[in-house]
Amino acid sequence: MLQTKNLGSPVRRALSPMITRRDGKGSGKRTMARHIKTERRECGSGQIRALFGATGLAAALVLAGSLTARAGEVTVGQSTSLSGSIAQLGITGQRGITMALDKINAEGGLLGQKVRLVVADDGMTPANGTTNARQMILSDHIKALFGPVSSAVGAAEETLAAQYRIPYFLFTSNDVRMTTQVFTPYVFQVVPNTVMEPRAVARYLAELVGKKPITVAVITPNYSFGRDSADSFIAALKAYGVDVKVLTQQFPKLGETDYTPYIPPLVAAHADYVFVGQYGGDLITFTKQALGFGLFKVSTVVGQYGRQVLTALAGQVPAGTIAFDRAPYWAMEGEGVKRFTEAYHTRFHEWPSAWAILGYTAVETWAAGVKKAGDFDGDKLVTALSGATVQTIRGPITLRACDHQGNVAEYVGRVSREVDPRYGQQIYTDVKAIPGEETMLTCEEAQKLQPRH
Amino acid sequence: MAARAFPSGGYKAGVGFAILLLMVSPWVLPTSWLLVLENVLVLALFATATNLLVGWTGLVSFGQAAFYGIGAYTVALAWLHGIASFWLAFIAAPLIAGLIALFTGAIALRARKLYFALLTLAFSELFYVLAEQLYDITNGANGIFGAMVPALLVSPLIGFYFTLAVVIVALALLYRIGHSPFGLTLRAIRERRVRAEALGLAVSHHELAAFTLSGAFCGLAGALYVVHDQTAYPELLNWVKSGEPVIVAVIGGISSYAGPLWGALFYQIAHDALVALTRDWQMALGALLLLVVLFRPGGIVSFFGGREER
Amino acid sequence: MNFASVAIEILSALTAAANLFIIAAGLSLVFGALRIINLAHGSFYMIGALLMASLFALGPPEVLFWPALLFAPLLMAGFGAVLERLLFRRIYHAEHLVQLLLSYALSLMLADLALRIWGADTRTVPPPAVLAGVLSVSGASFPLYDLFVIALSLIVGLGLWVLLRHTRFGWEIRAAVEDAEGLSLCGRNVPALFTAVFALGAFLAALGGAAVAPLQAIGPGMDSAILVSAFIVAVIGGLGSIAGAALGAAIIGFFQAVGTLWLPTWAPAFIFLAMILVLVIRPSGLLGAPQRAWAEEE
Repeated sequence: MLQTKNLGSPVRRALSPMITRRDGKGSGKRTMARHIKTERRECGSGQIRALFGATGLAAALVLAGSLTARAGEVTVGQSTSLSGSIAQLGITGQRGITMALDKINAEGGLLGQKVRLVVADDGMTPANGTTNARQMILSDHIKALFGPVSSAVGAAEETLAAQYRIPYFLFTSNDVRMTTQVFTPYVFQVVPNTVMEPRAVARYLAELVGKKPITVAVITPNYSFGRDSADSFIAALKAYGVDVKVLTQQFPKLGETDYTPYIPPLVAAHADYVFVGQYGGDLITFTKQALGFGLFKVSTVVGQYGRQVLTALAGQVPAGTIAFDRAPYWAMEGEGVKRFTEAYHTRFHEWPSAWAILGYTAVETWAAGVKKAGDFDGDKLVTALSGATVQTIRGPITLRACDHQGNVAEYVGRVSREVDPRYGQQIYTDVKAIPGEETMLTCEEAQKLQPRH
Repeated sequence: MAARAFPSGGYKAGVGFAILLLMVSPWVLPTSWLLVLENVLVLALFATATNLLVGWTGLVSFGQAAFYGIGAYTVALAWLHGIASFWLAFIAAPLIAGLIALFTGAIALRARKLYFALLTLAFSELFYVLAEQLYDITNGANGIFGAMVPALLVSPLIGFYFTLAVVIVALALLYRIGHSPFGLTLRAIRERRVRAEALGLAVSHHELAAFTLSGAFCGLAGALYVVHDQTAYPELLNWVKSGEPVIVAVIGGISSYAGPLWGALFYQIAHDALVALTRDWQMALGALLLLVVLFRPGGIVSFFGGREER
Repeated sequence: MNFASVAIEILSALTAAANLFIIAAGLSLVFGALRIINLAHGSFYMIGALLMASLFALGPPEVLFWPALLFAPLLMAGFGAVLERLLFRRIYHAEHLVQLLLSYALSLMLADLALRIWGADTRTVPPPAVLAGVLSVSGASFPLYDLFVIALSLIVGLGLWVLLRHTRFGWEIRAAVEDAEGLSLCGRNVPALFTAVFALGAFLAALGGAAVAPLQAIGPGMDSAILVSAFIVAVIGGLGSIAGAALGAAIIGFFQAVGTLWLPTWAPAFIFLAMILVLVIRPSGLLGAPQRAWAEEE
C-alpha cells in the first residue's frame, strides 16, 4: 500500500529548497535522495548510543552539582515576573531585596554567613514559578523564599514552601487567601492584603464624606483580586456608616487594552466616586482613555496611583484624584525610608517603587527572624517570627500570630496639582497612613477561613 | 520497507534500558532532578500524543493544549466543586478530553492544512477565554490551587513512580496505535491524502479518530500535570501552550516515534537551565528553535542515523 | 438608550476596528503576497509603539508627534527588510508549520530584545494638543484622538487600495501573487519585491502601534495581546485581502464594543466563535479568494 519511492516527510520535502537553491522554485523532489540515509545499521542503534551518552552526561552533572556546595554562605531565592507586562513590579522588588542583602553582607552577614540571592523568572506562570521554587529549594538549598508578583503563582509557591518547610515572605502579591484559605505557618505577609487595602481606602473616603450620601461606580479587573477588592471596598464603606449607592460595576479582563466600551457607561452613570481596581499598565491605559472621555470631570476617581503610574502619566492625573499605594516613598515619614530612597536613587537612577521598599522590608523581616531564632532553620524561624515585632525601614511591623499578616499601613491621599520637580511625578496631598490593625480581618475571622489541621 | 508492528531487538533493548534508568533514578538523582524528570515525562506524553496528529497524520494542530487543559481542569474542578474523588476525576480526564476532541475535531477537520491549524488555534483560545471568563465555575484568571491531589501522590517518590507508570503505559499504547494498520493508514494519509482517498480509505474517519485519540492522551498528560503541580490555570489552554508540544516534537524529530521523547528531554532541561542561568532565556530559547528549524529540521533523531522510522 | 450613547458606542466600535484594521492589513498583505504566516507581527506592533515613545524623548512632544508617527514605522520597516533577507527569505516555500515555528521563535527573541533595550517600565506618549480634546455629542464626550485613529485607518485603507490597484508596485505585487516565476522571467527583481512587501507589512504593524501609543500603556506584553486579535481579523476577512481586513476589523470591532456592553462575560469568546464559524464555512475568509484555500493542498 505504501509507495516506497516517494519518500520523506512533508517537512523534509518542503525544506529541501532551503538547502539547495533560492530561486523561488517549490519542487524539491529531485533532491530528496540526499536526505534519505541509506546506511544499513539497525534501526534505533544510534538512539541507544545517545541514551548512554545522555546518562553519562547526567551522571557527570549530578556529581558536579554535589561538589558546588559553598561554605560560609547561605542562599535565599526569589521567583518572580521579570518579563511580560508586570515585569516592572518583579524587577524593582528584586532590587529592594538585593539592596537589603547587600547591606547585611556589608555589615558582616547574618549569623556570620554571607547571604546570596538566586532569582528566576516565572513569566507569570504558576508552572514556572513552582519549578523555579523547587529547584531553588532542592538544588540551591535556599533558606527563605521571597514571593512573586502574581497571586496565582504565590499560592502555588506557598504550597511548596509548606511542604519543604521554607519560610515564605510575601511582599507584592497580596491576596488575602494566602493568609486564610491556603494559609500555612511558613508564610509571612508584609504587605497590606486584599482586604486591608480596600478597607483603608474606604476609611479615607468615609472620613472625607462623613454623613453625606454618595454614589459609587466600580471598575476592576475580572479576576479574584479585582472582584475581592471591589466587594471589600463597598462592604467597608457601608461598615463605616457611609450612605452609599452602587450605580454600576464593570469587570474588564485583566490586561485589557481597550476600555472604550467600559468608560462611557461610567461617565453616563455620573457617580460621585469611581473606584478603579486596575493597576500598573492597565491603570495607565485606563486613565489615558478615561481622560479622553471626560470621566475625571464628572466623577472623582479612586485608584492605585503609585510611582510607576504617576511617572508614566507625567502630570496628566487630574488633581484631587484619590490615590492609594502600599509604600509611596514621597509620602512616608521616617529616616529609614528616606535614606533608602536616596540610596536607591543613587544606585538605580530612578525613584523606588512600592515593591522595592516592600522587598527591602521583607528581607529585614527574615533577617530579624533569623537573629531572634539564632538559626536559619525554617521551623525555628517560624516560631521566632510568629507574633514578633521587627524593626524595618518603615518602622516596626508586628506579625500577628494567628495569620502572620503584618500590620502594614496603607497610604491614601489626593494627587497633587503640580509635578514635583525633584521626583518627576505628581505626589500626594492630604496623605493619611491608615494603620494595618484597623483594617485587618479579626483573628477569629481569619482563623475561620484557614484550613483545619 | 514495511513498518514494524513490533520493535527490533536493538530498539527493545534501548527501551528496556531507558525504563530501567528511569526506575532507579529516584534512588540516584537528587530530588530536584527527579522533579525535572517528572516534567519531562509529562511533556513527552503531551508531545507524543500531539505528534500522532502532526507527524503521523500530517495534521498540524496548534490547539492540543485545549485538551491538555481540559484534562487538568477536570481533575481540579472535580476537587473544587466536590463533584468526584481524585481517582475518578483522573480516569475521567482523558475520557472527557477525548469526547470534547471528538466534537472539536468534527468541526475543525472540515478545513485543511493552514486553515485547520488556525481553527485549532481558535479553539484553543476559545477554551482559554472560557476558562478565564467563567469566573464562578473556574475561579477565573487566578486558576485553581489547593490540596487537590491525595497526599500519597504528593510525595516526590510515589508521585514520580505513579507518573512514570502512567506515562509508560500511555506511550506503549501510542506506540501500538502508531504501528498498527490504523497507524499505517494515518501515515498513508499524511503522505498523500488524495491518493489515500482514491484507494478507498475512510480518510475523514481516520483523521477524526486520530484527533480524538490525540486529544484523549493530551488530556491524560494534563491530569498528570495536576498531580505534579497541584494547580490548574487558564494559560494551560492557550495557543502558546499549544505550540509547546509541536516545538518539542519538531526539535526531537516529528517523523519518528521516539522524536518527541528526545525533544521533551532536551527542551525541558534546556528551558529550566536557561531560566535559571539567564534573564534572557526567551532570547536563548527562541534562538535555539530558530536554529533547529532552519538548519536541522529533522530534529534530534536526525543525528542518530539508521533508517527513518516508517 | 439615547442618541448620545448609541453614537458613542458606534464610535468606540469604529475605533477598535480602525486599530485592528491597520495591523491586520499588514498581516494579510504579507500572507497574500508572500504566503507567509508571521507570528512576529505583534512584535513589530510593539516595537513601533516603543520606537514612538523613544522618539518622543528627543524633544518637545508638540513638534514631534507627526514626524515620529512617520519615522517609527519607517525604522521598523527597515528592520523588517533586514529580517526578511536574513530569515524569512529562507522559508517562503516551506510548510506552514516551519513558518509558524520560525516566526514564533523570532517573536520570543524580539520580546527579549525589547525588554533589554527599553526595559520593563511602561511608558506613555501624549497626543498632540490639537487632538487632545473631546468631541461633544449631545452631552456625551468622545475623545478626538480616537476620531483621528479612525481617520488614519481610512487613509491607510485608501492608500493601500491605490497602491495595489493603480501603481506599478501594486501591479507587481499582484503579479507575483499569481505567478512569481513568470514575473521574474519578465525581468522583474522578485526577491527585492518580496523584501519591499515584507517591509510594508512591518511598516503597517508599527504604524498601528505608533498610532495607538497615545491611548495605552506601552510596554512588554503588548505583542502577545494584539497578535491573536490581528489574526482573527485577517483570517475572518480573508488572508490576502485588504478589503477583507477592513470587513473583518469592522465585525470584530463591533463585536468587541457591543459585546462587552451587553454580554461582558461572553464577549471575548465571541470573536473566537466568529473565527471558527468563518473558517468552517468559508476557510478562505469572507472576502478571500476561494481557490487559494484549495491551493494549500499539494
